[in-house]
Amino acid sequence: MRKIVLLVASAFALAGVTAGCGISASDESNLTIYTARDKGLAQNVVDAFEAANPDYKGKVRLLTLGAQEAAERVSAEKGRPQADIWWGGTQQQFVQSAGAGLLAPVPEAVKTSIPEKYRDAQGRWVAEMLLNEVIFYNDKMLKPDQAPKDWDDLVKPAYKNKIIVRDVAASGTMRSIYSAMISRKGKDGDPAAGYDWLRKLDANTKVYAANPTDLYLRMQRQEAPVSVWNLQDVLLQRKNSKAPFAVVSPASGVPQLLDGVAKIAKGPNSAGADAFLTFLLGQEQQKKLAEEWFQIPTVKMDAPPSWLAPLKLTEMKVDWDAAAAKENEWITHWGSAIKNKG
Amino acid sequence: MSTGTLTTAPPDTGGRARRRLPSRDSDRFVYVLALPVIAILVFFVLIPMLATARTSAGGAGFAANYRALLSGSGAHALLLSIGTSLASVLFCGLLGTLLAVLLNRFEFPGRRALSVFAVLPMALPPLIGAVSFVLLYSETGIVPRALHAVTGLNPGAVSVGGVAGVVLVHAFTMYPYFYLSVSASLAGQDVSLEEAATNLGAGRFRVWRTVLLPMLTPALVSGALLTFMMSMASFTAPQLFNVQTLTMEIVSARTSGNAELAATQATGLSVVSIVFLVGMRWYQNRRVHRSLSKGAAAVRRGPSSGPARAAAGLGSLLLTVVLMAPVLVIVLVSFSADGAWTTQILPPSYTLDNYLQIFTEPSSLLPVSVSVQASLLATAAAVLVGAAAAWVVARWKLPGRWTMDVVIMLPWALPGTVIGVNLVTAFNEPGASNLGLTLVGTLWILPVAYFVRFVPLVFRSTGASLDQLDPSLEEAARNLGAGPLRVLRTVTFPLVLRGVLAGALLAFVDGVGEYVASVVIYPPGVVPMSVEIYNRIYASEFGTAAAYGGLQIVLILLVLFASRRLEEGPRRGRSRRSRRDGPAGSGSAAASALTVG
Repeated sequence: MRKIVLLVASAFALAGVTAGCGISASDESNLTIYTARDKGLAQNVVDAFEAANPDYKGKVRLLTLGAQEAAERVSAEKGRPQADIWWGGTQQQFVQSAGAGLLAPVPEAVKTSIPEKYRDAQGRWVAEMLLNEVIFYNDKMLKPDQAPKDWDDLVKPAYKNKIIVRDVAASGTMRSIYSAMISRKGKDGDPAAGYDWLRKLDANTKVYAANPTDLYLRMQRQEAPVSVWNLQDVLLQRKNSKAPFAVVSPASGVPQLLDGVAKIAKGPNSAGADAFLTFLLGQEQQKKLAEEWFQIPTVKMDAPPSWLAPLKLTEMKVDWDAAAAKENEWITHWGSAIKNKG
Repeated sequence: MSTGTLTTAPPDTGGRARRRLPSRDSDRFVYVLALPVIAILVFFVLIPMLATARTSAGGAGFAANYRALLSGSGAHALLLSIGTSLASVLFCGLLGTLLAVLLNRFEFPGRRALSVFAVLPMALPPLIGAVSFVLLYSETGIVPRALHAVTGLNPGAVSVGGVAGVVLVHAFTMYPYFYLSVSASLAGQDVSLEEAATNLGAGRFRVWRTVLLPMLTPALVSGALLTFMMSMASFTAPQLFNVQTLTMEIVSARTSGNAELAATQATGLSVVSIVFLVGMRWYQNRRVHRSLSKGAAAVRRGPSSGPARAAAGLGSLLLTVVLMAPVLVIVLVSFSADGAWTTQILPPSYTLDNYLQIFTEPSSLLPVSVSVQASLLATAAAVLVGAAAAWVVARWKLPGRWTMDVVIMLPWALPGTVIGVNLVTAFNEPGASNLGLTLVGTLWILPVAYFVRFVPLVFRSTGASLDQLDPSLEEAARNLGAGPLRVLRTVTFPLVLRGVLAGALLAFVDGVGEYVASVVIYPPGVVPMSVEIYNRIYASEFGTAAAYGGLQIVLILLVLFASRRLEEGPRRGRSRRSRRDGPAGSGSAAASALTVG
């Protein structure tokens, strides 16, 4: 018995020794950011923000989490918001949260710096960047002339069991890509042709990856050569992890999604949130993010990012409002009637 | 009530004796102790978790939500969840029980090492833990590639996928729930029962079938409950192997923004788990599985001849490697260079960079400290409340006993995200239901969440030990003049100590690895280890993520060693003492004395 007490006591002593560092009390002057962005990217921006605004030195608290978790947190904390900024999420997530009264308008200057099609009319969220959804392949497995050239190539028999797809229903990005495919094929809102196309894609899909990491890993380990994902992540994988990924520029264009940032309503530090948004969406930061982190800014720039032009990407026209309205219905149908059945 | 098994005390006499005994104030003590326990459970568990049921009536409406759950793809997913969970229980039960019997009843080379490693698969870090199964058993995994290299078999033909894959992951990560409870139960069994059966002419096999296994029922029920509920709420494995279970539907509904449908599905999930719980309790209560004594531990049998010893040693080495494989893969990845391992069977190049990066970055060890402290606090609270609740439920004589059982187990039956969201909603603003207590954004939210989520582990494990213990032992001590607290301290607690410890161990290990609820609640500046691992993975630092995973494994290994010392230390001391002084003094010796008398 004494031994147990001793052990428990020593465990707590050990815990005590390691305690006390990095824990800051809640304070009105702190600025709290929930971000689904890459941790390195977000830290980089925050460091620059603190350097430019010495008042906030050491007061910005960054919490990295997935976009869906960020949405859940913001919604659960509605009564007493804990954070000021929600940075990184899909258009649909922001639209839903704005509708639930969770978001507040960004400063007027920030709002007007962003074209109207890339933001909420009231400015309760703004898109920070455009995400191109592309086809990419492992260039150690396929030569450029063997790679698919367009979306319709993906459903050809030649690519049977050559495709890996990030599991669709649990991923905002994949839901949007699949909705775009249905919307592209459909006439007058009839999804039948799109369903048919996705059934053929399912037949060619070798495996559904559980998460983006699982996807990159399976691609690098040559389980199958072809996949679809957003351009930024693919390029970052190539740059940071030396992944052998090559990007295809589909002839019929790429669906463009919006990835946004918003100010949380009734957050503890409203002025800080405004300052951060102004800084983040300023020319200088956006230019840096564009060049170093493969972002395509929504704010008007003097020149597009230098790496973008050689890829020769064109935008695929998608009626996103119609697609968003039908997305749940389509993806539910895909999950129950198409997935694993092609 | 004829049991057909060799339980030592005829249960009906025990019942009559209890009623006759003047144990009024002991009875009252159960209810006195019950008050704070029930208050804590209602406050931290029941009220927050009821939010899910409330939400499920919103959105499209109660009827529409539940119709969606019970028809079409919802119903299919529900059946699939139940099917895979039952299969997981079966395989975990086989693996965990066999392992427990092997390690507790037999002596062979490598036994001590195996008995420490046996719980380690629980320490698999989130996300990379699942990935390690892909690295092992998928078409490009180590095992199919190695088989291909040796035998020329097509890797696709030997890879594991679908429902089989899910059951495989569950079997290899959840068998410790059986292993620990069965081990605790075996250690608490009196060998004299077996000896009596053998003396009466029963063969080895018959002794196992009619004496040992029936006595293990409470432990098996406890393991089955934990495994079933956990499988029902499991998400990563179904996602990894592409099996459309109910948890997949929940995530899909949440991603699409339909929180009400998700709540309906989560409620459906917990209702199934609760039905299973009640069913198992009913099954267990048909018989009495009590022993009046805590005898000396059984002598371990071992192979005597040299070749037999060698074969047993080789077998145990093989078993250790198979069980440890997912853990070993993480260690392997943590020492290999990112992106170099592509088509080879094993990583081609090795490096220390991943660990160097962790140890040279400032404050990169903070997450380790956060997880350890939060889990320790939560485990301490879970031991107090969980063990007390188990005792109250075991000795409760009024109606409502099973309600309490269900309430405690509720957080185990719900998916982690749901628990996180419920806690944030409940403890965010001061209000009537939380008595003005706000925890969100404070350091206390993590330990509270781990407590709520893992108190079922201590509760179940202690309950299983208590169900093996005849209340007449406590009554005898009371008759000899001990007060209720003293009885608890000197009789009950020492006899269920192994069960409490097993539960505490599970709670601590699960706390250190908890991710899904943590990410919704962790306060700024206090990043738990699992969230840090997630961050590293998404920052495409797979190697450093694995290195964190390696640290977590080492940490849990240390805890396992410590808990083994804790278990073995007192027992060794006790047996020495009782050999010297005869049966007197310590609690368990007093218990044996009672049986004799």
